[in-house]
Amino acid sequence: MQFTHRVSKGSAFNQIYVPRGMEVYFEVGDLVEVRLLEKKIELNYSKNLKKIGEFKEKLIKEIFSFLSRFEEIKQVFAVGSFLTSKADYRDIDLILITDKPSDKIYEKLTEKFGMKFHVISITEEKLLILKKICPLTRSMLYYYISNKTIPGCGKREIDVNHLRFLLMLPEDSLEINLSGRAYYDCLRRLIAIENFLSKKEEDPKKIDSEIEKLISRSLFLALKDSARIEGVALDKIRKIIKEKLDKLGKEIVDGKN
Amino acid sequence: MGKTSDIHELTNILAKALRHRIGAMVNSNEIYAEKYAKDADLLVKEAKKTALRQNWNSYDKNQIKNELKKKLRIELENKDFLDSKKFDIMDEEMNKVLKELELL
Repeated sequence: MQFTHRVSKGSAFNQIYVPRGMEVYFEVGDLVEVRLLEKKIELNYSKNLKKIGEFKEKLIKEIFSFLSRFEEIKQVFAVGSFLTSKADYRDIDLILITDKPSDKIYEKLTEKFGMKFHVISITEEKLLILKKICPLTRSMLYYYISNKTIPGCGKREIDVNHLRFLLMLPEDSLEINLSGRAYYDCLRRLIAIENFLSKKEEDPKKIDSEIEKLISRSLFLALKDSARIEGVALDKIRKIIKEKLDKLGKEIVDGKN
Repeated sequence: MGKTSDIHELTNILAKALRHRIGAMVNSNEIYAEKYAKDADLLVKEAKKTALRQNWNSYDKNQIKNELKKKLRIELENKDFLDSKKFDIMDEEMNKVLKELELL
């Protein structure tokens, strides 16, 4: 004889009631076993994210439920364009908080859902540091859904070496021909760093609007679509990157002194 | 383009790609070993296109390796914010990428 019930909140202890009609089978003094069948999945939205559609919410719940089987995962975040774009997303970005990063989780996710995922595994300790010093991490966590609550990103701390590390790709993009998508990433990175240094929010949607304003809508869409960029368009993008790099280089040096 | 100019272009891109890869490995704060390995991969992809332009003989391959080693050292020296462990792993990472491009 068995029944399935949800655990409910009691005044002193959480409890499971024996349902009506079952009391003849489950009597006071009987020995029973309680097993966890399904972990309750909570969706905690970042304060900046509006409620997403039912289909996407259901999918995220299923992903979180699947990942709850891996004991080593302490917390999961869904981030990126899957949450903010209606249909214009390429994959589902996940951040896993774990002390034991493993490629197996990525493989199992892909196998289970048949979808493209981008998974970043990181320890809680590192994430706490990055939330303070990294404009890209702050931008990534501007919109998220998580299975647990977390405090906001908090105060910014300038780590010159880290910022210089982030500027390496935009610097190289002035000399090497990259795909349109890589130029888009460079621009996004530069504006996120600008916002970080001037203590503005690193909102990825606002960063996109700013790129669009700088380079025109058609070129913005071409970059996102990873079109090959040449001629006048490439010169225009490189000029913007160069100007931003010069400005940021100076700000970073000033911040250091 | 001729072989010599392709060698210059190829080694320029690879030196930068390797600087990214090594930087992500030695800087302890980088999620980044994972996330920014992507930056290096982007550049290696560009290098592959250049590498495919020619048939390289063993003399060319040797020249590529020597030129790359010089350029990579300069790239790493210029980025003083990358941990000094970078010089310990540069040869190993250089050989890996050259193998990847069938240039070793």
